[in-house]
Amino acid sequence: MRPCGVFDEKYTQDIAIVRTWQHWAILIGALILVYLFPFFASYYLIAFINITCITIIVVLGLQIVSGYCGQISFGQPAFMAVGAYASAILTTKVGLSFWLALPLSGVAAGIFGIIGGAPSLRIKGFYLAVATIAIHFVTMWLILHLKITGATQGLNTTSPEFFGYPLDTDETMYFLIVTVMLIMTFGARNLARTKVGRAFVAIRDNDLAAEVMGMNLYYYKLLAFFISCFFAGVAGSLWAHLIMVVHPEQFTLNHALWYVGMIIIGGMGSIPGVFFGVFFVRVLDELVLFTAPMLVAWFPWLGMAPASSLSISAFGAVLVFFLMFEPRGLAHRWEIFKTSYRLYPFAY
Amino acid sequence: MLDFLQLLIMGLMEGGLYALIGAAVVLVYKSTQVASLAHGQILAFGAFFFYLFLGPAGLPWPIALILTLLASGLMGFVIERVTLRRLIGQPLFASFLVTFAVFMFFDGIFQLLIKGQSHSFPHFLPKGVLHFGGLNLPQTQLVSFVTALVLFGLLALFFQYTKVGLGLRASAEDHQLAQSTGISVRQIFSIIWVISAIVAGVGGIATASITDVHYSLPALGIKGLTVALFGGLESLPGALLGGLLLGILENVSAGYLDPIVGGGVKEVAAYVMLLLILLFRPYGLFGLVRIERI
Repeated sequence: MRPCGVFDEKYTQDIAIVRTWQHWAILIGALILVYLFPFFASYYLIAFINITCITIIVVLGLQIVSGYCGQISFGQPAFMAVGAYASAILTTKVGLSFWLALPLSGVAAGIFGIIGGAPSLRIKGFYLAVATIAIHFVTMWLILHLKITGATQGLNTTSPEFFGYPLDTDETMYFLIVTVMLIMTFGARNLARTKVGRAFVAIRDNDLAAEVMGMNLYYYKLLAFFISCFFAGVAGSLWAHLIMVVHPEQFTLNHALWYVGMIIIGGMGSIPGVFFGVFFVRVLDELVLFTAPMLVAWFPWLGMAPASSLSISAFGAVLVFFLMFEPRGLAHRWEIFKTSYRLYPFAY
Repeated sequence: MLDFLQLLIMGLMEGGLYALIGAAVVLVYKSTQVASLAHGQILAFGAFFFYLFLGPAGLPWPIALILTLLASGLMGFVIERVTLRRLIGQPLFASFLVTFAVFMFFDGIFQLLIKGQSHSFPHFLPKGVLHFGGLNLPQTQLVSFVTALVLFGLLALFFQYTKVGLGLRASAEDHQLAQSTGISVRQIFSIIWVISAIVAGVGGIATASITDVHYSLPALGIKGLTVALFGGLESLPGALLGGLLLGILENVSAGYLDPIVGGGVKEVAAYVMLLLILLFRPYGLFGLVRIERI
């Protein structure tokens, strides 16, 4: 919504994402800050941001298929695993460069996602949600039992090289991960405004009506799964080369629940919502991690290592709260805030 | 042949338990149109409460059983009252997601409570093994299986012959129509959650008397959803048949395929079957085909 008195005279103005010089200033300033960040941040913070950015890429994919296209998927960690394994195999066994393996693992996960998304042709709602849970288990079982994926041993990966310079620390990987994350965000943001994005929204709102209006439902649903799994695959590839080892234990159903929770907390069908959701949950997780030892000091019966259990509980409680009182998520709050700021001092 | 029969019987016994868990999910879905993941936790907590009452508290088992069922019912009641009742009128998918949020909330608590250990019930069911001409039949499993069948029978009778059961069936058909005939749909929702929680609690006790109380017990909730989808979400006989079929399929496929592919078939057979069923019969074996209008 434009403020009163602002008119777009050209089409390019109308569709611009960055609209005013203030926007440009904030954008460029923020980009400079983001790229200078590793020079003054602690190692802990950089590691935190790295994992957060990878999560953002996965959740962006989930937002496209669930938030925009309305097909709730619990299969995202499995598709991420496919990407991670594809990347590990392509770099170590086939001998491809990381820079080729990164998009290729995305494509591999995407093609796998088309197979995984096939049930969406006939079912929807929680039938589909449970079907994607089934796909998750079948995929992880295959990974655990195939020779090429190293079974229970997992696979080791190598560090990517940037013109002969190895990206082997968290600080150097930071630049790669953040750059990829920004490109993916830009892609997702624009996708939502194209013909494809509008088709997704139409399918989410009423798939029958969308079909009646002449949309090829199968094509768009599978496309949504392909794109979302492409995101997951790219994130998996980054993950594989950041952690240096891929193992089936890294991709569990719990992760799928976390990802779906993140888009609910952030707000379904909103790209900024992905950032809000992921940051909110990740910060909550870290807070629980910090407070857990204190809680143990007060309540010794909690046991030695309650952090992981407590963070699951805290996440569940927050999720219940959001679903009941703020079903449109933090992105909705953000919109309210933006609107009231724009209209100040008037109410509307 | 003997191997096959043995696998069949073990599958049947296990399937009875799956059917119970599936029944809990189907009960809720039938009347509230919400597929619940939370019953996996009610089941796990039921088993844990029973262990607490029986083991550390040292109560005799009938009292422990009654207390456990009360606790399970209370848990179901509280879950419905605190979360799902506020979501009446919201999109149904929100309710489904709330049950999974509840699942996560209780999962953390459950893992805290059991502290990563496995607890077994002390001297509750006979532990011996019956022999029938070369077939082995553990008594514990037999008792669990019979309990499951009896409970199914009771549920069927309850739905068919009591006034509350009639109200439950009416509100399963149409909420508005039921309300206009004087049935309090909210009350019905509470009742159905309590009943299904008790069913899940029995399922938990029966399962844990075979497998002990351990960390992966809540994951049976996902199995319950699978069973319910297998038979069709609205159908109680579907849950029974789906559960039995699933147990048999799991055991038979694991028995024959494990040596070929190297183990682990049991964990995945259910999901492969589910995907196949959903591909050919999207609404399960006995589910209602939904006709949509714009």
